[in-house]
Amino acid sequence: MSDTRRMLAEMADPLFAELGPAATDSDWSRLDELGLPLLLVSEAGDGFGGDHVDALTVFRLAGYHALGLPLVDRIVASREEEGTEAHFHLGAFARAAQIAGALDAALAMSVAYVNERQQFGRPLGKFQVVQQELATFACEAAAANCAAMGVAEALDRGDAAFEIAAAKLRANRAASEGARIAHQVHGAIGFTQEYPLHDLTGRLRHWRSEFGGDAYWSKALGDSVIARGADAFWPDLTARAD
Amino acid sequence: MQTFVTEAVDWPESAPELRATVRALVAEHGERDPVRRANCWTKADPDFSRRLGEAGLLGMTWPKEYGGHERSQLERYVVIEELLAAGAPVGAHWIADRQSGPLLLRLGNDELKERWVPGMARGEVFACIGLSEPNSGSDLASVRTSARRDGDEWIINGQKVWTTGAHWSHFMIALIRSEAGSERQQGLSQFVIPMDAPGVSVKPIIDLTGAHEFNEVFFEDVRLPASTLLGEEGQGWRQATAELSLERSGPERYLSSMVLFLELVRHAEKHADPATWDLVGRLASDAWTLRLMSASVAAKLARGEDPALEATMVKDLGNAYEQAIPELVQGAIEMDLSGDEVLASVTAYLLQVAPSFSLRGGTREILKGIIARGLGLR
Ligand SMILES: Cc1cc2nc3c(=O)[nH]c(=O)nc-3n(C[C@H](O)[C@H](O)[C@H](O)COP(=O)(O)OP(=O)(O)OC[C@H]3O[C@@H](n4cnc5c(N)ncnc54)[C@H](O)[C@@H]3O)c2cc1C
Repeated sequence: MSDTRRMLAEMADPLFAELGPAATDSDWSRLDELGLPLLLVSEAGDGFGGDHVDALTVFRLAGYHALGLPLVDRIVASREEEGTEAHFHLGAFARAAQIAGALDAALAMSVAYVNERQQFGRPLGKFQVVQQELATFACEAAAANCAAMGVAEALDRGDAAFEIAAAKLRANRAASEGARIAHQVHGAIGFTQEYPLHDLTGRLRHWRSEFGGDAYWSKALGDSVIARGADAFWPDLTARAD
Repeated sequence: MQTFVTEAVDWPESAPELRATVRALVAEHGERDPVRRANCWTKADPDFSRRLGEAGLLGMTWPKEYGGHERSQLERYVVIEELLAAGAPVGAHWIADRQSGPLLLRLGNDELKERWVPGMARGEVFACIGLSEPNSGSDLASVRTSARRDGDEWIINGQKVWTTGAHWSHFMIALIRSEAGSERQQGLSQFVIPMDAPGVSVKPIIDLTGAHEFNEVFFEDVRLPASTLLGEEGQGWRQATAELSLERSGPERYLSSMVLFLELVRHAEKHADPATWDLVGRLASDAWTLRLMSASVAAKLARGEDPALEATMVKDLGNAYEQAIPELVQGAIEMDLSGDEVLASVTAYLLQVAPSFSLRGGTREILKGIIARGLGLR
């Protein structure tokens, strides 16, 4: 990790954790102070001059802490004009990254909960079915995180239309599976307003549909793969990153 | 908490050239039958293996002293993912190149290395894995095949089962109880057993497709010189666990059905149907993600890290993916499974063998147990 990126993470992580889902408009000044809304604007344009992996770091943490202000959307809008395809694509990347963060947070919450909560005289985490479900959840969270990283790298290389479609679709599916498991292992407590799981799963539910739902991206991706043809699939896939 | 930390994979400069070399070789000498291109890493073709050896594409990372080529781990990764994506018949040498060679180089004495490694790098010497026994499947620590010391020799008795390629292999690396009365993970050692040693016999097991890929292997008073003990006496469990990391982490754990995905795309080129577009999109998204994850594990291994947890996740997700492809294709497209159309016959074959994807190399349940432990459960 580069020094700027580590610094960015070290600033954003505690701040987003502190602000959390309850952040209000009066908290914008804290984000402005760090230059975060202009993260993707060049230094020449008086911005932060971050690259897409920097953006991934911030988007992911915003998702992880269920940040209650639309910082991510501001970052996207300050880079690309709303209504354009570039804006839609960058937005899809942002949602994939937020999903990745929120899944990791919901997973951590679920693991902590099942290790704590006792039933039948032992922690729920001792039951194999619960363990296997959470392992499945971990794999989904891992897939979303890798997909988001793959897009960030592709965006820094240049054209990332393929990667954005693939990653948003993969993250969407992970969002649905992860939220399902998180709620299941929490039982009724996770169904309350007081318990913070819904701050994450509610966002996951929206993010899955925003900037392209599953059907949108699977059609886009399917069309482009079929148009290139079977024999081009693997050579294209490898050539994009080589 | 971040379950799977990824970083950019620095693909080697030589990647495009290596890919071109492999593609040309497969185009000329690869498997013609589309059905045999599926799940290709169980399909043995010793001629093809020898050609890979001649082209310098086996033992790529091994020292030149032992016939290797001292290329990087990621260069090897490029070659194996190309072979798998193209459905090349790599079964004969797969285990030797993936795990037996590295294990011998890491732990073997000079005699063992000199005897076996150069032949493996030439694609002429093949190996098999002796872990499972009739009463030891998932519970591997219960193995009972025994080795007793007799002067300068060891005497092996017992039985291994499900041994892939025992009938084409030249040696087996076996996990054996070398301390009488020992329990579980204690008292186990690894031995390098020549398959032509007196007292070793191989009995075919025909799988549900009618193919002969795995076997039973019996040991009756097999006398081996002390030099065949691999690594340290009593350290077999630790060594075998490290071997499993090599066995579980590669791209073969998600690519077994890639050939069918490509046939699906070929079908879709001719038949416009929204359900197929969707399926192609979904499967392409998974393929892209899994490739990133798998390559990221390879990059960590190349840096000398031990990404055991990440490798386990990739295998679990990858197995689920390669297992789902034939089911989803069957669900999306009307076909006559007994017909001879390529799409149908590849689907039919993979539907039959897909259950094995989440068994071989550690079952889904065992992998998920490992992941759960990594999460801090149990
Ligand atoms: C095609 C193929 C090739 C193979 N090649 C080789 C080879 O070359 N060399 C070799 O040594 N072995 C080989 N194997 C064997 C393979 O490693 C075993 O099949 C595997 O370890 C599972 O063991 P088992 O078949 O005895 O099933 P079992 O261990 O009996 O398991 C049966 C079922 O019970 C589940 N189960 C078992 N224990 C638990 C538990 N604690 N909690 C929850 N569920 C559990 C399993 O997940 C599985 O679903 C091969 C297998 C296949 C299918």
